[in-house]
Amino acid sequence: MRSRSSWLVWGLLAAPAVWFVSVAEGQSAEDLESLLHPTGELSARLLIVALALTPLGKLFPRARAVRWLLGRRRAIGVAAFGYAALHTLFYVAAMGSADDMLAELGATGIWTGWAALALLAPLALTSTDRAQRWLRSGWKRLQRLAYPAAVLTLAHWALVHNDTWTAVAHFAPLALLQILRVLNRSGARAGLNERQSHA
Amino acid sequence: MRRLIILAALAAPFAALETPAAATGAMTCNAPKAKWKGEPALVKKITAEGWKVRKSKVDGGCYEVYGTDPQGNRVEAYFHPVTLEKLLVSRRGEVLFRKK
Repeated sequence: MRSRSSWLVWGLLAAPAVWFVSVAEGQSAEDLESLLHPTGELSARLLIVALALTPLGKLFPRARAVRWLLGRRRAIGVAAFGYAALHTLFYVAAMGSADDMLAELGATGIWTGWAALALLAPLALTSTDRAQRWLRSGWKRLQRLAYPAAVLTLAHWALVHNDTWTAVAHFAPLALLQILRVLNRSGARAGLNERQSHA
Repeated sequence: MRRLIILAALAAPFAALETPAAATGAMTCNAPKAKWKGEPALVKKITAEGWKVRKSKVDGGCYEVYGTDPQGNRVEAYFHPVTLEKLLVSRRGEVLFRKK
């Protein structure tokens, strides 16, 4: 049985989708291009938040907001995929033909987006408790695909439009958190070695 | 101190959001504004050439157009505001045409 706050979170995460779809309904296929940026940006932001929560939780273990969000990380991750899927749906509808899509598939800004979607899809599909039990330790390894997906998302955003700095500014905190994570880990290892040599 | 640095870095995207839409630097034009032909004139000219214009604006002192070129590519293109000459066409960030 889900708690009331859990339903609230899913509802809040789904609300922008309702708005995007209602805007899209009144538009011609070509005008759907204008919905590509907002849907993609929202997806990227949710992905960044989902990936930032674990290292943030380690840095600020007592922060209540971080703990609360950590409990909702699955919903945030699934929403990141949901908006990536909506973004792709709008793209396909705006392009209108497979030939037109194939013609621009070679652009780095385009194939990186498709690749990011391809990596996120299995993560969303295996996001249920049942899949988690079924995959056992493999589940965690599979979920690590979110990191290359984030790198591809950054490349897609930076290259597809002249928007490099906004994209980099969004992903910089995530990169910083990962660097701190690695530094802390190697720091802990160095400490351990020191203790062993003294023993 | 370390926490302050972390928090400042985490706020970086918000600083980027606050900066007003500046020139992208993809193309720059230097022409006195008094001589500009106006966006409607450009849209009229290139529509006659087979372009479909979805949106037009000024970027880096040039006219920037989002739309479909006569070959059917979804592109963003830059035009000179006085001569209305085509300067740069890119499709999803991939340069298709650049004026020599």
